[in-house]
Amino acid sequence: MKTIANIAFRNLSRQKKRSVLLGAAIAFGVMIVTLINGFAGAFVSNVSDNFSYLLAGHVFVSGVEKTGAKLDKEIEVIRDDAVLTAALKDAGVPAKYVTRRSDFDGSLIFEGKKVFHSIAGTDLANERFLRDRLVLKEGSWDNMKDPRAIVLSDKIAGKLNVQVGDRILVSLKTAAGQNNAGEFVLAGISFDTGILGSLMGYANIAYVNELLGLASGEYMTMGIMLDDISRTERSATALYDRMKASLQLFDRGVKDEKGATTPFMAMMRKQNREQWNGVKYRVFTLNDILAQVQQIVDAINIAAFVILVVLFFIVMVGITNTFRMVMYERIREIGTMRAVGVQRGEIRSMFLYEALFLAIGGALAGIVLALVAMAVISFFNLGMDSPLFIILKNGHLSFRVPPFQAVGNVLVIAVLTLAAAFFPARNAARLDPAVALRTLK
Amino acid sequence: MGIVELKDVRKVYPLGKVEVEAVKGVSFCIEKGDFISIAGPSGSGKTTILNMIGLIDHATAGEVHIDGKPTAGLKDRELTRMRHEVLGFIFQSFNLIPVLNVWENIEFPLLLGKTRITKAEKNDWIDWLIAEVGLVEWKRHKPNELSGGQRQRVAIARALVTKPQIVLADEPTANLDSATGEQIIELMKKINRELETTFIFSTHDAKIVNIADHIIRLRDGLVTENVRRGEDVAEACAPANTAGD
Repeated sequence: MKTIANIAFRNLSRQKKRSVLLGAAIAFGVMIVTLINGFAGAFVSNVSDNFSYLLAGHVFVSGVEKTGAKLDKEIEVIRDDAVLTAALKDAGVPAKYVTRRSDFDGSLIFEGKKVFHSIAGTDLANERFLRDRLVLKEGSWDNMKDPRAIVLSDKIAGKLNVQVGDRILVSLKTAAGQNNAGEFVLAGISFDTGILGSLMGYANIAYVNELLGLASGEYMTMGIMLDDISRTERSATALYDRMKASLQLFDRGVKDEKGATTPFMAMMRKQNREQWNGVKYRVFTLNDILAQVQQIVDAINIAAFVILVVLFFIVMVGITNTFRMVMYERIREIGTMRAVGVQRGEIRSMFLYEALFLAIGGALAGIVLALVAMAVISFFNLGMDSPLFIILKNGHLSFRVPPFQAVGNVLVIAVLTLAAAFFPARNAARLDPAVALRTLK
Repeated sequence: MGIVELKDVRKVYPLGKVEVEAVKGVSFCIEKGDFISIAGPSGSGKTTILNMIGLIDHATAGEVHIDGKPTAGLKDRELTRMRHEVLGFIFQSFNLIPVLNVWENIEFPLLLGKTRITKAEKNDWIDWLIAEVGLVEWKRHKPNELSGGQRQRVAIARALVTKPQIVLADEPTANLDSATGEQIIELMKKINRELETTFIFSTHDAKIVNIADHIIRLRDGLVTENVRRGEDVAEACAPANTAGD
């Protein structure tokens, strides 16, 4: 078999142009699919990473308090920070830092223009990372020293037609559900960071709490930023288990709520049907909120696989025709080999080896080309102000090809190529040696 | 003792809707160590007979015995193994494997099936064959770098490398000039004497026919003459001696 494999390998060099063209077709298909896989592979981590900065955490804790005579009102609030801080410490969660935010959805009004928008109350003195991620187009972070300061995205500022220094009226409902109004001062305008970047404006938590009717030191959500995003679920579980001992908690991992597209949404729907007394906490993660991102990635990967299969069906037709042609070109050689003692199976193997070498060579070349293309593409800095911000890593498009996926692609190609070459190989093996030797090319 | 025996062998080829009888009942016996020419004009059935002796084609009727064994009913795998172990082939168009050099082409049959010799023995044997056919300086060359005569020498060495009992050569000189053709036949005859290998070659060249000890002439699929050094030869092989005879 070694001899047959050796001849098959050398046969590839007989028609160099043809082998190179077939190999290039395989390489091109693999390159495209590897690029798509690489993009999809980095998509989740980049989106999660960027979102973790926008939402200020990987793991989150929020509290819901029942109020009213019939316990029919809910207030989103965490009043006892000490108990959460202690639980966090006891659970051994590797927190890089912890953020505390209050937020609301309200109407921003300026000179007759009105925009409904989400406002996050943050501790900007501590949330240094927000300044790194949110690049200001106009204004300055120093302006945030004004207790009523707010930073809006370019898009929202444009809709309101406001300039830095303008005073913007805000209309909202307090945590208890009463109407309230206030006034922000525009401290800065951030670059529009795409469909998700303009999701919220950022204000000082003290003023947001005042608007919401929460006391100083109270907040709505604790965000825990971890050293390593891959530890998100483990950390959330550890924290949940620790809190369960002394606090009321909503169930984690609720997935089957009708109409819920994310675990977070499912958790919220289930919560609406529950009754409790006092404060009940929910522990959730970025993954619970961004489950749809994984669905997008799954869709991209399925699309990549479909592209791979379609491309290779086209290539397979080429391979089948080429090997059929090769069989006729080498028909006397096949007859000679059969005459000197080569068995039918070995003739078939010779063709299949040739196809396999072509597939593996083409696939490896495709992977190398994809890696080179990835290096070149990721070299360009698209900037933090790019509309693609949410899928970039520090302004660069990044790629991550899981090794099993690359190996899987090579295997798929090897199998498809072998399938394409199988029938010509079988026909070659079945040739009657006398007929083969008689044939004039 | 007969190493090849054909008994009333017929071969019919379908040609479209009609059938062509290429061999019409041929019987002859070839002795071990013979240097035989199967002669005749084109279409007389030379190649068909060689193919049947070489087990690459089946007789439509009659019997082909190789080394005393009937070949009818053997499966493809057994026929292939027998071709590898008992027979060697030399073709009109040399039929060397283009991606292998001279040494590798000669070595190729030894790499098939089960190897019974050591690597050192194999190397010595191939080197001896290469020297015998006069290609020592060309042993690392590919077939496309050789002349027709040199290629046929490689084919002769390849045919002999498995030490077969019979070497079949179908028009081995047809693609060579007459001087080179004669050299090739002389080389075959020399090896026939040295190794006592049975050589059966087909030709339509009268000059080359006469170099053979045993001549079988064909015309229209029938044997017209079967002589060894001027004497008629019996169609059937003599029965093998039994123990004690």
